[in-house]
Amino acid sequence: MDENMAKVIFQPSGRRGLVPKGVSVIEASRLLGADIEALCGEKRVCGKCKVRIEEGFFEKYGIASKRSHVSPWQQEEEEKFINAADKEAGYRLGCVTRIEGDLLVFVPEESRAGKQIVSKAARDIQIEHNPAVKLYTITVEKPAFEDPTGDFERICKQLKNRYGLENLKIDLQALRQVPAALRKGDWTVTVSVWMDQEIIRIRPGKFESSYGLAVDIGTTTVAVYFCDLTTMEVIDTVSMMNPQCKYGEDVMSRITYHMMNPDGLEKMSNDIVEALNQLIDEAIQATHPPREKVKKKKGHKGPDKWVEAPQEGKTYLRLSRHDIEDFTIACNTAMHHILLQLDPQHVALAPFPPVIHHSLDIKARDLGIHINPSAYVFILPNEAGFVGADNVGVLIAEAPYQKDEVQLIIDIGTNGELVLGNKEKLISSSCATGPAFEGAQLTFGMRAAPGAIERIKIDPETHEVDYKVIGKDAWRKYSEPSEMKAKGICGSGILDVLAELFKAGVITSSGAFNKKGQKSNRFRKNPETQISEFVLAWAEETSIGKDIVITQKDVRQIQLAKGALYAGCKLMLKRLQVDKPQKVKIAGAFGTHVDREKALIMGLFPDCDIENIVSIGNAAGDGCRAALLNRDKREEANWVSRNVEYIELTIESDFQQEFMEAMQLPHMTDAFPHLKGIVPEYILDQK
Amino acid sequence: MEDARKEEILKNLAEAVVEFEEDTAREWAQIALDEGMDAFEAIMDGLAAGMETVGDLYDRQEYFVPELLMSADALYAGLDILKPHIKQDAVKKMGQVVIGTVQGDVHDIGKNIIKLMFEVGGFDVHDLGRDVPLEKFVEEQLKTDAEIVAMSAMMTTTMVGMKKVIEMIKAKNPKVAIMLGGAPVTQDVAELWGADGYAESAGNAVQEAIKMISQLRKLQEQE
Repeated sequence: MDENMAKVIFQPSGRRGLVPKGVSVIEASRLLGADIEALCGEKRVCGKCKVRIEEGFFEKYGIASKRSHVSPWQQEEEEKFINAADKEAGYRLGCVTRIEGDLLVFVPEESRAGKQIVSKAARDIQIEHNPAVKLYTITVEKPAFEDPTGDFERICKQLKNRYGLENLKIDLQALRQVPAALRKGDWTVTVSVWMDQEIIRIRPGKFESSYGLAVDIGTTTVAVYFCDLTTMEVIDTVSMMNPQCKYGEDVMSRITYHMMNPDGLEKMSNDIVEALNQLIDEAIQATHPPREKVKKKKGHKGPDKWVEAPQEGKTYLRLSRHDIEDFTIACNTAMHHILLQLDPQHVALAPFPPVIHHSLDIKARDLGIHINPSAYVFILPNEAGFVGADNVGVLIAEAPYQKDEVQLIIDIGTNGELVLGNKEKLISSSCATGPAFEGAQLTFGMRAAPGAIERIKIDPETHEVDYKVIGKDAWRKYSEPSEMKAKGICGSGILDVLAELFKAGVITSSGAFNKKGQKSNRFRKNPETQISEFVLAWAEETSIGKDIVITQKDVRQIQLAKGALYAGCKLMLKRLQVDKPQKVKIAGAFGTHVDREKALIMGLFPDCDIENIVSIGNAAGDGCRAALLNRDKREEANWVSRNVEYIELTIESDFQQEFMEAMQLPHMTDAFPHLKGIVPEYILDQK
Repeated sequence: MEDARKEEILKNLAEAVVEFEEDTAREWAQIALDEGMDAFEAIMDGLAAGMETVGDLYDRQEYFVPELLMSADALYAGLDILKPHIKQDAVKKMGQVVIGTVQGDVHDIGKNIIKLMFEVGGFDVHDLGRDVPLEKFVEEQLKTDAEIVAMSAMMTTTMVGMKKVIEMIKAKNPKVAIMLGGAPVTQDVAELWGADGYAESAGNAVQEAIKMISQLRKLQEQE
């Protein structure tokens, strides 16, 4: 064996292989496909990548794993996250620990990157039908001695005579299909024309359907809407985690990864393209009946046999990748630049200019996206460095620029994007909500995966906690403790918890734990850190064997995020000289989960009538779908991206004051008349 | 002045800062002057001592950024009244600090808090603001001959600019002490880049600065 390589096995996933000595445990896990959480992007600050280095000879794997096979303990960095007992047991941080010899690494439950539950389902929105790719079935005259004109010219002549299409070009790959298609179809062919400009496909005979994909590339999640371009129906929605998450949770850490690694940009770009191709495969496969494996007799050599096992009553479209003839993408500016391998570092430096605003039409094959090779990918335009094509998607889906009423649209993702205005004027801005709402940075924060606490209620009389976890319908109250298997808290639970802690009087309006009013043994001081915490789930209710708590520090992190969002809304209202918005729309994968009453209680945005708060789900994805099905929306996108005025909030002179006041619950000075009757007055009026 | 009365005034000044009562701070600052108390003593053992308590509360997460900033407002309110009456010989200038948020970064709340701490600590502070071109740190240091250069960055992408500044300054004047702060900065980074001081976060920087104030107060007690 090469002495520069070490054999590494990850448990319980069983992933194994050889890795070069000197790489960190996290890097090795990536190489071998065993996912370990790296929320902070290996900056050694999140402590989520705890692993146990096993000691001994493991016959099953033929491996002698020793704690001396890794780099020495780093007191400064590791002691913050690993207590003495765990250190003794062999726990280390995956990002700090370097591999120097053969190892068996145990990845505990809480360090595993779980499969996220994604809620980016398509919403029913009104879209006019005018796709960029249209089908034309024509019959051309056979060539004869009197008229031996070329096949392509013959097609053009017909398209001009029958449909008025002029000056058409043809993609080389499509041109190659022409002679066979004409003759096979007995001179009747169906031509796919892109934007009335270019022929991208020719098929023999008559066809009536064509297909396209609208793709929303989020920092955390990628969602693909598989659409029928003729009926506008969403045939399927497939999604997965953005594989770039392994380089860090937020756009900043990914841009830094690019700045620090010469091949970083290419790696991240390849990762996302690979993910898109996987999703395309998945969507295509679902149009075929599932296949069942029939094993031949034992000992009989030869390939396994597959038979189709179609579901009764379902019609399968049986499509291939070539049937996907259009593709639209909405994403934030950083994801946009990384996908296209445009240097993203200036997006992250004031004054944050993007490389390009305008939309792009790129051949799918140039991006390595495996659909019809002549098809184009349309990428929505960017508004600004921190307000990207995804926000343009939100805008063309909601079209606030056509309305009289003043709308406030909040898109909560890893970054918060805000739009305010009506047909008179529209302004946008972004605020660094940070990853707190998505679970990162909190002691027991996690992604929305099974075991995550997603709903919380706290009894104001007893301070007892009732909660619901993802993957189990019954609340804690109606379950045995051991059935809960709670693992952490995800975004929607994080919003709930702050509102509930405040409403029940566990924390004061300043966010500090209420020293006088505690009513249960759930409130305590952590014996090690001396910092106050509140127990949400006792150890016996969890799958990780310890109490799930929310600490004073966690509360502070959420306050920072919500303060940034509120301050952003307020400054924008001031800028437009509007007292309050007539409608508040909450978008984002997260948006569908938001309990609007709790969002108001915690003061996520200025006071308004709860009836005027609406969740609009993944509006960025909806806008992307609109651009796929209606080419006018593409022009509209370019228009709106240059007509929304972007405001950099942090340089507004009163930002600091607004931010500070907005950190309190629900706000330090602003009144919340609409919370009367929802939150007890002595809580609401406390000073 | 009687010791008991002096204690009372100092206690009230400190409490005004801890309870972020601007009016009370002003009121007791005036009382201190009216009753002939040394202005510098009132600042250091009253207002600054209060800020020290605030720092402790912040460290225990009981106080947060809003409370910190409100305390600062109360402190400034008292300071405005007392400062013109400081006897020049009572003040031993601690030194000069050049401070700013590095190029590309516009986040400056943390920097402003540190600036306040330096001011309370008796430093002459040259605040360059935010989004400061890297060369400006070097120029300002040379111009003022400041002993300390303090830099802040809140984004990983702008943090790397600090490294360049350290190199430029150390090349011209190796004796200058350089202090780094901001969310993405770590002890490792600070050491690797050759900085002399590091604060893990705004909170820690406050602690660091408060420690400096405590040091200062101890020094003065010994004199």
